[in-house]
Amino acid sequence: MTTVQKTRPRVRPPLGKIFAWIAMGAFMLITIFPFYWMLRTALSNGALLATDPSSLLPVDFTFGAFERVLGIATTEEAQAQGGSGASLNFWGYLFNSVIVATAITAGQVFFGALAAYAFARLRWPGRNAVFFLFLLALMVPPIFTQLPNFLLMRDLGLINTYAGIVLPFFFMTPFAIFFLRQFFMGISTEVEEAARLDGAGNIRIFFRVILPMSSGPLATLAILQYIQAWNEYFWPLLVGSDESVRVLTVALGVFRSQTPQGQPDWAGMMAAALLAALPILLIFVIFSRKIVNSIGFSGIK
Amino acid sequence: MSTTTSVPTPASPAPAAHAAGSGSPRRNHHSKAARKQTWIALAFVAPSLFGFAVFYLWPTIRGIYISFTDYDVFTSPVFTGLANYARLFSDETFANSARATILYVLINILLQTTLALGLAVLMHRLTQSTFVRSIVILPYLIANVVVALVWFWMLDFQIGIVNQGIQWLGGNAIAFFGDETWAIPTIALVNTWRHLGYTALLIFAGLQTIPKDVYEAARTEGASEWQMFWRITVPLLRPVLALVLVITMIGSFQVFDTVAVTTSGGPADATRVIQYYIFDLAFQRLDFGYASAVSVVLLVVLAIIAAVQLRLTRANESDLN
Amino acid sequence: MTPRERTPGNTSPTSRRRAPRRLLAGAAALVAAAVLTGCVQSGTAEGAYGETGNLSYWMWDSNQVPAYQKCADAFEIDNPEITISIEQYGYDDYWNKLMTSFVANSAPDVFVDHSSKYGDYSSRGLIENLDDLILADNVDMSQYVEGTAELWQGPDGHQYGLPKDWDTVALFYNEDMTTEAGITAEELGEMTWNPEDGGSYEQVIASLTVDENGVRGNEEGFDKGNVETYGLGLDDSGGGYGQVTWAMLAATTGWTYMDTPTWGSEFNYDDPRFQATIGWWRGLIDKGYMPPLSQTVGTALSSKLQVGAYAMVTDGSWNINTYDKLQGVNLNTAPTPVGVEGKRASTFNSLADSISVSSTQKGAAWEWVKYLGSIECQQVVAEAGVVFPSITAVDTIAEEKFAQTGFDVSAFTTHIDDKTTVLFPLSEAAVEIGAVMTNSMDKVMSFSAEPSSLTATDAAVNKLLSLEQQKE
Repeated sequence: MTTVQKTRPRVRPPLGKIFAWIAMGAFMLITIFPFYWMLRTALSNGALLATDPSSLLPVDFTFGAFERVLGIATTEEAQAQGGSGASLNFWGYLFNSVIVATAITAGQVFFGALAAYAFARLRWPGRNAVFFLFLLALMVPPIFTQLPNFLLMRDLGLINTYAGIVLPFFFMTPFAIFFLRQFFMGISTEVEEAARLDGAGNIRIFFRVILPMSSGPLATLAILQYIQAWNEYFWPLLVGSDESVRVLTVALGVFRSQTPQGQPDWAGMMAAALLAALPILLIFVIFSRKIVNSIGFSGIK
Repeated sequence: MSTTTSVPTPASPAPAAHAAGSGSPRRNHHSKAARKQTWIALAFVAPSLFGFAVFYLWPTIRGIYISFTDYDVFTSPVFTGLANYARLFSDETFANSARATILYVLINILLQTTLALGLAVLMHRLTQSTFVRSIVILPYLIANVVVALVWFWMLDFQIGIVNQGIQWLGGNAIAFFGDETWAIPTIALVNTWRHLGYTALLIFAGLQTIPKDVYEAARTEGASEWQMFWRITVPLLRPVLALVLVITMIGSFQVFDTVAVTTSGGPADATRVIQYYIFDLAFQRLDFGYASAVSVVLLVVLAIIAAVQLRLTRANESDLN
Repeated sequence: MTPRERTPGNTSPTSRRRAPRRLLAGAAALVAAAVLTGCVQSGTAEGAYGETGNLSYWMWDSNQVPAYQKCADAFEIDNPEITISIEQYGYDDYWNKLMTSFVANSAPDVFVDHSSKYGDYSSRGLIENLDDLILADNVDMSQYVEGTAELWQGPDGHQYGLPKDWDTVALFYNEDMTTEAGITAEELGEMTWNPEDGGSYEQVIASLTVDENGVRGNEEGFDKGNVETYGLGLDDSGGGYGQVTWAMLAATTGWTYMDTPTWGSEFNYDDPRFQATIGWWRGLIDKGYMPPLSQTVGTALSSKLQVGAYAMVTDGSWNINTYDKLQGVNLNTAPTPVGVEGKRASTFNSLADSISVSSTQKGAAWEWVKYLGSIECQQVVAEAGVVFPSITAVDTIAEEKFAQTGFDVSAFTTHIDDKTTVLFPLSEAAVEIGAVMTNSMDKVMSFSAEPSSLTATDAAVNKLLSLEQQKE
């Protein structure tokens, strides 16, 4: 059996390309290494970390740090491995993070879709003015509104409640509106015209026609906003410090400050950090393609 | 820390996507339909408008009001006119935090933009695989707090792996978070690590809009990679780069999480960036009035930057057209 | 900017166009009004004297949590309708969190308070004045170690806490290293110090410092750029109090923090004796006997002592337990050096528990606070060997427990016996003053400013103090 050989000669890859691949490899390494290091430290015995700081493998492999962080270890066990006996009520904080992130995402996506449709497809007086206002809202640095919002929550008695953490983000975020408006404007009008001819009103068009068609961007938006809500730190720190509503990011900050009188509990901290990042990592593994492809979509326009 | 993902430049709105009404309206019918649409539109926009009014507009007004008062939360605010603003001029800590923030912003932007450009070009020329892009975006998905902790550990003076590496190479350990001159650059580096992938992907998306024939044409004329990069890629990327620059800048001014979890403003105020100073003033010194004044200043600065952006992107409708 | 689009088809009369707009404006006004009326609620919620329920109790010392948890368990058995939830936050974050919780009206019912901090709370009416409660329950204030109850009397003369422990400062040193250097325990116990040449204290520090070639600090050829073991360790610049860093030295020169031991009207950071002390202390870094400030981030004195990076450190009695637990190193204690006036000195402090005014279970909180200050609980704490309890009668138990660690406990108790304690400088505006002083001291200790710059800092601090005092 004769195989047809391509007559292209084998060329040695140009030097530039080799350097490029090395550079790319370096970027990849620098990106991945800290994650590995987190894992390596979390699986080490905290008290013995100082004895072999440059070892690439865990020092005295143990799950002690995770047990400590999850509150499974006793105080003696914890302190024997360099911990302070403080634990991260992981499941409770995880629950809180889920509630907060889900509520915020649901509100932002739903109300954002409504508003985006109004901007994209409906005609009404003041539309441009309001759009411009929302645009301005994007420019305001969060800290500027967070202080007065904190006072507002205080006045309403919503400090240390889920509502207090969720409300400022719940009703609107300029990004969601812009993101969806862009998409809605791109939907061809024929489908709408057809539905209108069938006698459907605007509301029905929105819910029965537009929304189902937008499941893709809606899902992408939901994922992006979920991740952002999950990673919020400053606002939940201000408004939700109490154990009952504390989210994972804030809990991590607290855990960090609970260092024992001696050396910081590095192993425990890395275990806590890993656990705090785990849910997002899982979401990412499932939705990586969507997330990656969504970046830049609205950036170029 | 940028809290928003990309901003759609308002310079390119819907091209008349609305058929200018039906061509043959009977006036009454059309007005009725139009009014109905208005009511529905208002209903649709109501929640967002409510959120905007209560959580953006009202706080802005209140914030500005408080900046003219002396308010410690436990007693009623006392109107003091421009006293807080006057204090800004003689406040050394404020001057220091402004300096620290600006230094941070500059380092962060420079580093992030150049590295992101480099990475984007690498990705564009070497591989378009989603896998690589997924890896690259990973740090961005992790909370600032987590990133800060991990690097706090890796850059530890005693037993952090980075210093171990430096010492292995023969150098002296660096007190990344403890040395006054290193503290801000270190925070900038940490945040760059987190945002690099995201910024690179933004630029990458921009690179993809550049048609391949431009490169083909250049290559047939014998242009080298380097020349193509500087003569074709960069100019055509200008709007994207401008956008990236502004997003990064606005985000950088609001760095807080990383500082809060690592240095808490130290050593000796070296990392007391503006947002951290505002937080400090409000919740430790119980000086909400002055804290609000500083926030107003920050707002004005960022508004100016945003205004500059609008000019830039409007003037720079892509050279492709 | 969205280019102005003609809203097509809307040729209807202006009134109809205005209607929705009016509605919009009306709605906005409604919202604004609703929110405005709910605004500017100031002051703290006045709590209630509930006798039962769950009490939140904050503390910062993780070493002490097990002991106080035992107290809580015993208390809950005696008081079945009250439960105690202990929350611990690290010291650096503790005050931040506390202040934020006051602002947010979500302060803990009871919390461990520090004598230097409570002025800010009492002046704002955030913590309970205990006078009436003490009188009503006949709490015997004389049972406490002298000076501790006084630390908890506010500027208005009211009692704001029941002292539950006391602490002083001493030296922890590595016995193996001192033996190698040929220094005996007696010598360490008799060290002298003065701001000019550092007395025998500096000589000891120098001889304990070893560079990477094995040359000691007081020998020829000492390379101060490559030090392996520092004779004296450093943790931070000490801020305005220098409790474990410089106060025990500055006080021996006759210098005092303020014009009166507590609740003064003026600080003395402009005093040449103080500045000379700081200058000497900083000089140790120059000579290579003490590490630079930048290297102290992210570490703790105890771990440095453990790995042999430091030969000697100054620390408080609340850390005896921490040092005792260190493995692989032989430590012992020595008292602070004797100064120019022939006496030692040590900052003296006492912790107490405060009740938040906003608590809704103040009755239960008082029961808990009383229990914490009682012999039963203090005995539990004494037996855990974590702090010196403030009730004199129980003190001996703690001293025995501490003695079991092998440390020379007299290094700490000598100040009580010889009355060489220096009370913590209680003042208003402590948080702000602390921030200013820490900033200044950090700069001085990292050589970006001179000790003389502390005169300007002193002026700033005094200004803050007088501003705060005028408010009352």
